[in-house]
This record gives sequence, C-alpha cells and structure tokens, in this order.
Amino acid sequence: MTASRLKQPKPFNTEKALQLIGFLCFAYLFFGFMLLPCLNTLTSIFTVKDAAGNVDPFAVIRFFLAGNMPRFVWNSLRLAVVLTITVNIVGISIVLLTEYFDIKGANILRLGYMTTLIYSGVALVTGYMFLYSSDGIMTTKLLEMFPTLNPKWFSGYKAVLFTMTFACTSNHALFLRNAIRGIDYNTVEASRNLGASPFTTLFKVVFPTLIPTLFSLTIMTFITGLCAMSAPTLLGYDSINPEIVRLAGSSVADESFPQARAALLSIILACFTILLLTILSSYERKGHYLSVSKTKAKLRKQKIDNPVLNVLMHIYAYVLFIIYMTPVVMIVLFSFQTYQAIKVKRLDLGNWTFINYYGTQDYQYLTSRGKYKTIEGSISGVFSNEATLGGIHTSFVLSVIAAALACVIVVIACNYIFKHKKTGTVLEYALLFPWLLPTILICYSYRVFFNSNDIWYVFDQNLYYADRVRILMIIAYMVVRLPFSLRMIKAAFYQIDEELEDAARNLGSSQIRTFLKVKLPIIMPSVLAVFALNFNTLFTEYDMGATFASSYGTTYAMVIQSMCREEGLYGFNVNASGRRCASTVFIMIVSGIILYLVYGVGGRDIGERIAARERFKKLFSRFKKKEA
Amino acid sequence: MIDLKNIIVRFGDFEALHNINVNVDKGEFFTFLGPSGCGKTTTLRTITGFIQPAEGKVYVNDKDITNVPIEKRNIGIVFQSYALFPTMTVYDNIAYGLKIKKMKKDEIDTKVRTIAKKVDLSDEQLGKAVSQLSGGQQQRVAIARSLVTEPEIICLDEPLSNLDAKLRVQLRTELKHMQKEFGITSIYVTHDQEEALTLSDRIAVFNKGYIEQIGTPNEIYNHSATEFVCNFIGDINRLNDNIVSKLNEHGAALDPAWHHYIRLERLHVNSEPKDDDVILKGVVKSREYYGLYIKYYIDCEGQELKIIEKNDGINLYDTGDFINIVISARDLMSYPPKEA
Repeated sequence: MTASRLKQPKPFNTEKALQLIGFLCFAYLFFGFMLLPCLNTLTSIFTVKDAAGNVDPFAVIRFFLAGNMPRFVWNSLRLAVVLTITVNIVGISIVLLTEYFDIKGANILRLGYMTTLIYSGVALVTGYMFLYSSDGIMTTKLLEMFPTLNPKWFSGYKAVLFTMTFACTSNHALFLRNAIRGIDYNTVEASRNLGASPFTTLFKVVFPTLIPTLFSLTIMTFITGLCAMSAPTLLGYDSINPEIVRLAGSSVADESFPQARAALLSIILACFTILLLTILSSYERKGHYLSVSKTKAKLRKQKIDNPVLNVLMHIYAYVLFIIYMTPVVMIVLFSFQTYQAIKVKRLDLGNWTFINYYGTQDYQYLTSRGKYKTIEGSISGVFSNEATLGGIHTSFVLSVIAAALACVIVVIACNYIFKHKKTGTVLEYALLFPWLLPTILICYSYRVFFNSNDIWYVFDQNLYYADRVRILMIIAYMVVRLPFSLRMIKAAFYQIDEELEDAARNLGSSQIRTFLKVKLPIIMPSVLAVFALNFNTLFTEYDMGATFASSYGTTYAMVIQSMCREEGLYGFNVNASGRRCASTVFIMIVSGIILYLVYGVGGRDIGERIAARERFKKLFSRFKKKEA
Repeated sequence: MIDLKNIIVRFGDFEALHNINVNVDKGEFFTFLGPSGCGKTTTLRTITGFIQPAEGKVYVNDKDITNVPIEKRNIGIVFQSYALFPTMTVYDNIAYGLKIKKMKKDEIDTKVRTIAKKVDLSDEQLGKAVSQLSGGQQQRVAIARSLVTEPEIICLDEPLSNLDAKLRVQLRTELKHMQKEFGITSIYVTHDQEEALTLSDRIAVFNKGYIEQIGTPNEIYNHSATEFVCNFIGDINRLNDNIVSKLNEHGAALDPAWHHYIRLERLHVNSEPKDDDVILKGVVKSREYYGLYIKYYIDCEGQELKIIEKNDGINLYDTGDFINIVISARDLMSYPPKEA
C-alpha cells in the first residue's frame, strides 16, 4: 500500500454524483459543440461533388489555386505582418511616453491612449469613419483646403491599417505597461551610473526585459490582423474573414461551392492560428526574465536631457493623443447635435439635443414632385429606436448568459483541474481547444452543421432556424470565451493556499462547502472580472453576429454597422449618424462602468470592503444626526 | 495519549518515514525537530489525517484512528501560513468550525468571544478582516480557530516561522503560556532548535525520515544520542587528533578513532582548572561581541576552537592575545565513526 493524501471514504455520495453529471455535461459540450461541427467543416472541403455528382476531394483546392482566393489570404497576411510593426511602434510609444519618459501631462495622455479600452470593434471603426470617410468631418475640412483630394482617400488597405494600428494598442496599454512598471529601477540607475544615456539604458537594459511581453503582444497582434473582420468589412478591404462571411451567405446558384471554399479559408486561418499559438506557447515555456532583486525599486521617469529631443517627444506624444482623442471627442460632441449639424459636419453650439439618445421626431422633406412628405418618427434616439433597442436587448441577453455560462463552466472545471492532475490536464486542453480555431470557423461550422434537422444530440432540432439561432449564438459566444476565462480563472485558483482547504477539512467542512464558502469567495473578484470582460467583448462583438447573419440574432454591433449604410435613404433613419455616435457613447459608458467595477470596486479585498462599509456608516450616521 | 506505532509513509517509491514510533503524553508539549525534508511535517500530517501511512497505526487514547476521516479526529491544527480564510472576518474565521457543527448562533457567539478573550483578541479585532491584522494577531486567530472546537490535541506546524525574530521570541513565550493554560496536548513542528529547547517538554529529533532521539531538552542538548543530534542542536567544536592526544596524555582515555565534540560554553578562557581539567595553549584569532556574552575564535593545536564566555565586563581578550583554554574530558560527547 502506498501513502497518499488521505482520501475520504468512497460511497456513491452527492459529490460523486455531481462529478459524474459534470463530466457528462462537459463531454456533451466538447464533442457536440466543439469537435463535431468543426470536423464537419473540415470534411466538407473534401466532399464536394462535381457536375456528375461524383465526390471530388480536391476540387476546392484546385479552385483555390486557380482562382482569386489566394488574394484574400495574401491580403490578410500582408495586413497582419504590417500591423505587427505599426501596432508595436505606436503601442511601445504610448507606454514609454506615459511610463518611462518624463512627458508633461502624462496622466492626461494616458487617458487618451487608453480610450481604445472602452470602445473598439465596430464602434471604433465607425468612429474613425465619422471623421475620415468621404463625408467625414476631417475629410470635409481637408477638401475645403485641398479640393483635389480624393474624398474616398480613407478606404481600403491604408484605412484598415490606420484604424487597426490605433485600435489594437489596448493590449500594449495594459500588459506592456504592467511589464515596464515591473522593472527594477535599480537596474536603470545602475546603467545610468555606469555612464549610459536614458536612450542607451532603454535599449540595453529596459527593452531586453520587455522582449517576452513584446513577443506575446506581437503574436496576438498578428492573429488579430489575420482574423480582422469589422475594419475590412466597413472600410472595404478583401481579407479572409469578410470573405468567409460573404461565402457563407452565398448559394451554389451564385458561385461554385461557396461553403466549401469558406470552410477552406477557415481552415487556412486555423492553421495559421495553431502555428502562431504553438510558437507562442513554446516561447512562453522557455520562461521569462525574472527580476533577481530582493528589494525592487519603483521605476522613476527619465528626463530627456536633450532639449530638442525633448520637444520632439512632446510633439509626438500629443500628436498621438490627438489621433486617439479626436474621434472620441467628436463622437461625444456630435451625439448631442441635430441631424442637420451632423450632415454638414459642423458643430452647432447653440443647438444641443438629446434626440440621438432618446425620443422621436418626424421628418419632413421635399419630394421630386415638389411636395412635402412627412415621415413619422424617422428621427429617433438609441433608446427609442426599435431596431437599436432590439440590438441592445439581443446583445445584452446573449452576452450576459454566455459570459456567465463560460465563467460557471470554467470555475467548476478549474476546481476539478486542481484536484486531478492527469484527467484535469485533458479537461484543460479540451477547454483551450476553441483558442486554436478562429472565431469565424467555429461560428461558420455551427451555422452549417446545426442548419439541419438530423442532429440527434440536439433532439433533431434545427438550431439555425428562427429564434433557435439565439441558443446557437449563446453556445458560440460561450465556447469562444472559454479559453480566455480558463487562463484568467486558473490564475486566480493559483492564489488559493492549499492549506486553506486542509484547514477547512480539519474543521469538518465538506468538499462542496469548502468550495462554496472558502475557495469561491477568494476567486470571486477574478470570476466577476472575467464575467465583466467577457460581457464587454460579447456585447459589442460583430464577427460572430455577422457570421450567423440571422434576423433573429441581430446584435447591437450589427445594428451600428447597418446605420452606416441606411442613413437618410428616402427619409428613412435620418439621424443614423447621430444615433451611431450616441450608441458609441453608450458603449463607452457601459465599458467604462464595467472596467471601473472590475478593476476599481472588484479589486477590493475584504479589508478594503470593510473599511468602505465603515466609511459609509459614518457618513450615514452623520447625515442622520444632521437630519435629527 | 498519542501513539505512533511503526509508521511508514511512502510517496510513490520514496519512503518518507521509516518505522516511526512516538508516544506523546496527555498535556505534554511535544516537538518534532529537524532540518527541512526530514519528515517532521509528514509525521504531523499523518497524525492529523492528511496523509495515510503505508504501514503502522496511529492511536489516540488507545483508539486506532488511522482510518478516521480528518474532521472526525478532533485534532486542531495551526498551519505554517495560518491558513486563515481571507474572505472572512476574524469572527467568521473563528466561528467557521462551530457553524459546521450546526451550533446555535448564541452559543457560537459566546464561544467565539470567550476564546478570543483568552488569546487576547479584542471585540474590535473580531470585526476586522484577517488582512488587517499583524502577523502576531493572525497567529492568535489561527490558534483561536483551532481551539474553539475544543480539540483533544493541537498540532502546530512551524507557526512562528513567518514572523520577525523579536515577535517570534515574544510569541514563543505566549504560546507556552497558552498551552499551559488550556492544558491541551500539543505537537509542535519546527526546524528552529532554540524554539524547540525553550518550548518543549520533550523533543523528537528527525533526520531523513528516522527519529534520531527522543528526550527532554536537557537530554537532547547535553546528552545527544547521535552525532547528528549533537551537530544539529546548538553550536559545537569537533576536536582534532592533536587535542584528543593531549587529553589522552592527561589520562582521558579517548578512542582516537571516534569523533569527539565539546559545546562552546564548556570551554573556558584563562579560568582556574579543577581536578582533572586540562589546559591547552591558544591564540585569539578573532572575537564577536554579543553583549551578554563574547564568542572567541582561537587557534589551538592546529584547529580553530569556538568558545563562549560570559561578559563580565572585566576580561576581554584581543586578537593575538595568548590564552589558556581549560577543557574537561567529562564534557565531551563521543561517537563512533559511521561505517562507509
């Protein structure tokens, strides 16, 4: 007999039963909603039938090589490669300007650079379009100055690159900032003491310690560029993801085996993702530079001694700030403007309105026959417009359910993973499975696979049919958020001291009680943070909603996207631009509140919570006394 | 009270404990002492039930508890990290075990406040989060939490190791005082020999999964049963062949093949020799001034001897001073060399 940590007697108790149920549910989720639909997509490439009805396994590949499909792959690759350079330049710049160099007004600059944390995706792209599109504010101004300028200058590859360069610096703003803050200032001082200038110190001492973080950020940026969806769609750039969505919605009558081609593109995307993630994880396994300092000193900002360089750096910092802030400021300002002001892109300072947020107005216009026509309620606010409200409602409900489900599944899984090393590892890899596949592949697979009445394990129901698509979307939302949730919540589980569980058991606590009363409260702030971040991402996500492309699953981002094209046509949706601005402001507020709750309130430990409660009690009693 | 009989613990192929036999009396303060990885915590965890022995039995009051679940053993534990639940207040931490026992609220409240008073925790501190307390206060909470359920035995796994030196000395005294007040049988795990000597009624010295010696602090210190114990407990001089020969010249009859040791305080500088004391000549190489005593490093017969002298404020020897070292063969501890 070999010694082991003492196991409790093993009758078939509640805990065992729950474990079995959990195992069955997870197997159902993994095989039914991760493996089978994706395998189906893979096989669909090789089961295409020719005109005679014979299976031609290489038809799609031949088509791929002969047709224009490589162009989409090349375009995506080009965007991804160039983005890794531009995003790193801007991302490193914003972090150095706010954290390493002594730049005046760094706190304000930081706020500006971090705006991408509260609005991204479709909201951000439409924000840039509001400024730079053919009828955008900046383009209008530029045309006044340079009449020969092509009004459509902000479109295609350059526009996508510009937009995504600034949109994708959020990770730098968070992770690189943390990495640079973790540098031991004594090493900087030592370098300076040995005669190195701030810039030499930066390149020789600071940068090498940031390389692991920068490498991870570069890979993530590459994947983002490769899987770009909203910017290429809205700004008109032929890349893989928009093409997959287009092909998925196409029929055999329109073109040759569109769905198998979409599947092939998805698989190509998946291959790139797998390759990059493998490189990333093997690099991460090599380990990072760890500070060997026992008494780490906090980083102090470096003054730029050269006055010319100092001025240039300040100019660079504020130019970046203007690029980041202009869309935000303009969107906020114009969200309170009338449709007339927005149309001519001129602020009407004497005429502010809430109509883009709330209420309806009729719209009267002169027809070609010289008669006035009135369309009732054609001008409406975000919270009065049925389509927008519907989008918000759909996105809200789907996101809340999916974000919560992802958290619950991962918390239960993590509890198991930490107790069962071998089977736990299998479970962990299964949960990370969706990370290997592009979101679009998962959604596309769902759309194709579940658009059938023959899937026995969903009771022969067509999940892509009518409002059932919402169930499918919830599952897709949840599945794609599992890997992120696992990484974050697993990190939280590491914080739990093993002795806490021993202590609870010693005091007579059952495993379930220990989990609920001791472990769960410890990881709860992290779980809530993951829930909030999941919700934030899903609430404004566009890629998945667009892939499903169902009127029953029209998400908020799709509504915003649709506002870009239907504005004012035949007096319909006259203030779509204003409502789009108001929508973006609403998203910024929601995201801002969530980030505050996650990192501000949620980050408090019980000590801080008790102190806050005491402060509130004092304030309340003082208020009561005054009243008395 | 506690009987460990022929305990063997294995982790895979590795045998962590080899045939451990220990008997702890009721109300005794018993310490498991040894270096890291010697098996002391494994033995403690075997008693508490976190580890099941591969062989052997654990008895409490002559009742075999080897297969009794952890929560039914009625043994309290104070962990090295204290393992206080960080999301609960001090009050909730202490009350946790009572709530599991489904006691009435009033009863829980009375018990929590009584035990808190005994371990010197105020009502105000009960409402605080554990993170708001100092290390010493946290230790009191951990003790209170383990005692409130009225266990027969309390096991303390290096509870002072996370504290600074001053607080450690202070709490050591308090711990002993509390143990006497509660009269509870205590098993204490430490690698700190000073802690073990000051606190314990008896000590078991562990080495590589074996018990080298069980005895009172005096037995362990002055009559170390093995060379390991003699080396592990306190500072010591191992005498070289020259000094052994000198002692034998004066009729000591020491076996030159054996290893002979003498404690630092048993050597004296320039003192009057008694009956069979031997005088050796030496030169002060360096000295360390500790206030209460002075430690000399002396060159003597080709070896460096360490000597501790009480600081009487009069006799202070400088580097290079020639001195007499007074040594008695009766103070030596001798061990046969281990076979290769």
